[in-house]
Amino acid sequence: MTNIGVYICHCGTNIAGVVDVEGLTQKVAKLKDVSLAKDYKYMCSEPGQDLIREDIKNRNLDRVVVAACSPRMHENTYKKVLASAGLNPFLLEIANIREQASWVHLDKEKTTDKALDLIKMAVAKVRMDEPLTSLSANVIQRVLVIGAGIAGIQTSLDIANIGFDVVLVEKEQSIGGRMSQLGKTFPTLDCSACILTPKMVEVSLNPRIKLFTYSEVEEISGFIGNFKAKIRKKSRGLDESLCTGCGLCQEKCPTKVPSEYDEKMGKRKAIYTLFPQAVPNIPVIDRASCLYITKGKCGVCKKVCPAGAIDYERTDEFIEEEIGAVVVATGFDPFDPVSKEEYGFGIYRNVITGLQLERLLHAAGPTKGEVVRPSDGAIPKRIAFVQCVGSRDEHANKYCSRVCCMYAIKNALLIKEHHPESEIFIYYIDIRAFGKGYEEFYKRAQENGIKFMRGRVAEIFEEQKSRNPVIRADDTLLGMVTENELDMVVLSVGMIPRSDSSKIQKMLGLAASPDGFFMEAHAKLRPVDTLVDGVFLAGTAQGPKDIPDTVAQAKGAASGALEVISHKTLQLSPLISEVDERLCRGCGDCKDVCEYGAIEIVTLDTHKVARINPAICKGCGACAVACCNGSIKLRNYTDSITFAMLDATLGGAV
Amino acid sequence: MKQIIKRTKAYYCVECGKCSGSCPVARVNEGFSPRVIVERALSGMKGEIEGDRELWTCLTCEACTTKCPSTVKFSEFIRGMRSSAFNSGYTSRCSQGGLLHSIQRVQSYRDIVQNRLQWISDDLKTSTEGEVLYFTGCLPYFENLFSGFVNPLEIARSTVKILNKAGISPVVSPNERCCGHDLLWTGNVETFQKLARLNIEMIKESGASRIVTSCPECLRTLKLDYADFFEGTDIEIVHISEFISSLIKNNDIKLNRAGIMTYQDPCRLGRHMGIYDAPREVIKSMGELVEMNKNREESSCCGVSAWATCEGNSKLMQIERLIEAKSTGADMLVTSCPKCLIHFRCAVHNQIPVEKEKVDIPVVDLTVAACRALAGE
Repeated sequence: MTNIGVYICHCGTNIAGVVDVEGLTQKVAKLKDVSLAKDYKYMCSEPGQDLIREDIKNRNLDRVVVAACSPRMHENTYKKVLASAGLNPFLLEIANIREQASWVHLDKEKTTDKALDLIKMAVAKVRMDEPLTSLSANVIQRVLVIGAGIAGIQTSLDIANIGFDVVLVEKEQSIGGRMSQLGKTFPTLDCSACILTPKMVEVSLNPRIKLFTYSEVEEISGFIGNFKAKIRKKSRGLDESLCTGCGLCQEKCPTKVPSEYDEKMGKRKAIYTLFPQAVPNIPVIDRASCLYITKGKCGVCKKVCPAGAIDYERTDEFIEEEIGAVVVATGFDPFDPVSKEEYGFGIYRNVITGLQLERLLHAAGPTKGEVVRPSDGAIPKRIAFVQCVGSRDEHANKYCSRVCCMYAIKNALLIKEHHPESEIFIYYIDIRAFGKGYEEFYKRAQENGIKFMRGRVAEIFEEQKSRNPVIRADDTLLGMVTENELDMVVLSVGMIPRSDSSKIQKMLGLAASPDGFFMEAHAKLRPVDTLVDGVFLAGTAQGPKDIPDTVAQAKGAASGALEVISHKTLQLSPLISEVDERLCRGCGDCKDVCEYGAIEIVTLDTHKVARINPAICKGCGACAVACCNGSIKLRNYTDSITFAMLDATLGGAV
Repeated sequence: MKQIIKRTKAYYCVECGKCSGSCPVARVNEGFSPRVIVERALSGMKGEIEGDRELWTCLTCEACTTKCPSTVKFSEFIRGMRSSAFNSGYTSRCSQGGLLHSIQRVQSYRDIVQNRLQWISDDLKTSTEGEVLYFTGCLPYFENLFSGFVNPLEIARSTVKILNKAGISPVVSPNERCCGHDLLWTGNVETFQKLARLNIEMIKESGASRIVTSCPECLRTLKLDYADFFEGTDIEIVHISEFISSLIKNNDIKLNRAGIMTYQDPCRLGRHMGIYDAPREVIKSMGELVEMNKNREESSCCGVSAWATCEGNSKLMQIERLIEAKSTGADMLVTSCPKCLIHFRCAVHNQIPVEKEKVDIPVVDLTVAACRALAGE
């Protein structure tokens, strides 16, 4: 004998405004196996919860239906009520009569009928539901952080300082990321290196952080709590344990090539470190430009190295690490303005990008902080910034990159402070100064005589003799098209997803937003989670953001990862698919449709069968549908339950 | 106007001014600004736009449309507003005192008899029915009006000669009408539709499954603007430059060297239809191609479109373009639009404000040049 209790919520007037709750309760009370039906103003309130709890105890209810809002809201609340009353929490069903009835219809009578149908189905289902017990799995209490820019650094430090181990993998030869390339930061104008390097040193000294630089994650397998990562530690062409970082090799190396780190504004050697405070301070031999490696000649670095560390033949190493959670902090690439042909970047030498200007303004950059024209090394007196290059543009990227307004204003101010006589223009569409202290910073620029020109630059051409770039733009406030001859033009390029982000995306099974950045699980309420359990996002890998937002998100990602790995075991939902191995013929159709990679085909003595990893299975049921001989069942969503639900509403069998 | 705004997505405009900065007309006419026209439309100033003479100044060359970061279809917006203005009684200032538009309107009467085929000399093979139809366009009329400085019918003869060379004896119909391009782009939609219906009737009667045009405006009109009428049939429409380049690719014809050439992308062929490579391939097979600074998508317009608003500013644009062409060092400026040809030749035919040597470069139609270069002729 089944004793089902049905509880119908008014949700204030959200439900009761359209559904005749009292009439509905009376009808429900008469359904088969329903021993009581009650309505209440707010079922999720404490008195509402008590009502259910008391009835389970006093009226011996063995199954419960709550007709209220979406199960996404309060299913967990009621599950806990059942558990606290000693009832298996999986003997609960929610009939969503708010989102699926009262919120979407106006006709009171028909909506009440629909609510009744929804409750009938829930009753039919709960009658057949099996009591289930949560599964548990062991958790490897370490976190993998991919990318050691400011986001990855902050996440790693937070996790390590709380007392858990971190594996931090950085593709470049030093940690620091894009932030290390910047000269100063807005709106406070503190030098980027001054605030970043202490954190970099902290990483290198923290015994809980295992740092892999010049390394890449090649493969990740497993599931939440139990991931395995294969890391390629690329050869630096030397023995890291011997290198003392004295720098003699760099000094003596005869080969000079354009420096990628300096955005081609300066040169580097074939054996080089990125910058003086690099962590670790160990150089890398660039195999494409090293004379010894390409031509078999030279060998100077090997000769001068006092530690005998140079080893041209050194090969890549592979390391496997086990971790319980992953934080993706892979950062961004700057937009390449070559595709905006009308701006002549790459053709006109005095047209540069914002990041190139950062390198010029950097005290340790190629010009030691002096801004000079690339064509003749002269100090430019008339400079213009072109905003929204590649951003807010249907032909490039639709989104706003969020940092360009402020970095242009910052660099304009820095130049103006160095050379007060210079004339600086910022061509903008809208100035977006949304952060703390940003609007005030914008004002400071206006006070200092930076000229703000409202209009998107239509084209740039070059005066041949002087190599001065000329901007042609509609001054939309004056309503006239103007031409402005300058000494130098800076293109404020936006952020785009890293060119190699699809590799990480595939490896982890992440989703990407329409803008190409990694997608969070929920735009508002789960901004650092992904749809893959145990994988979190930090920084610009998720979308353009400034340093404060990046650091805040990095701390959020650390807390997300800690939530996973701070427990030794993990509770897993038992609402998953299971295979009846007596029926399975191992055809693999289920494996093909599983989006989560939860199914494996294993070979037994005589035949093959499908096995489902309960830790990966999300209970979506795709495999159960695909299985041609019905050997896979999704727990509590079996065919017979579904038919019973259909009968309840269509066949009048109840 | 609300519908035009919706159809052309003008509501996406953020007033950035990229259009006005890129506009070739705004370069020479300070009073003209695509951005301001859109801004007025968004503020609901219908009457002011309709009554503004600048509405007819736009070349609908698509220089702004291809650049607009918000993908506002400005040319289409102008076309819509012109039709609305036309219905309110405003008209464009047709450059030939209204004569050309009159000729085009007259063709919309069913019962007129045109003397359209006199140019077909004995050495040319044409048919009355067949698979391929050559849509001559307005060339016979242009011949009568502009023969003082250009021979438009040489384009028609060259086209047929090249088609003959490929073994095709094209249908050329005395009942062909103006495609309606100019009337459509100056707001007279009703007459455009009449012309379209008559042409479709004529094409269907000819039994043609493929149409060749030597005019990019005819190409655009037949291919895009007739699309509603053509629905259900699969008539292929190609520009002669595409046709010649495929002949060359298949080794069906061979062209002799004809010197160094630079190329003017007609707006309709280039930005409207995206055909940039075919004419260049033809040029490269008969000579050396030197590009002007502004080429392909960045190309400058010849200064007049749809015979609306030919004025001093048009001439400035033409002269500037000719100077650019001359400075490439090419022997000739090749174009593939009869109107570009007429406009450039017209510009130097009359008095000009610069020294003759600066603009002194022969302007030749692509088909004519190719026909002259045919090997074994």
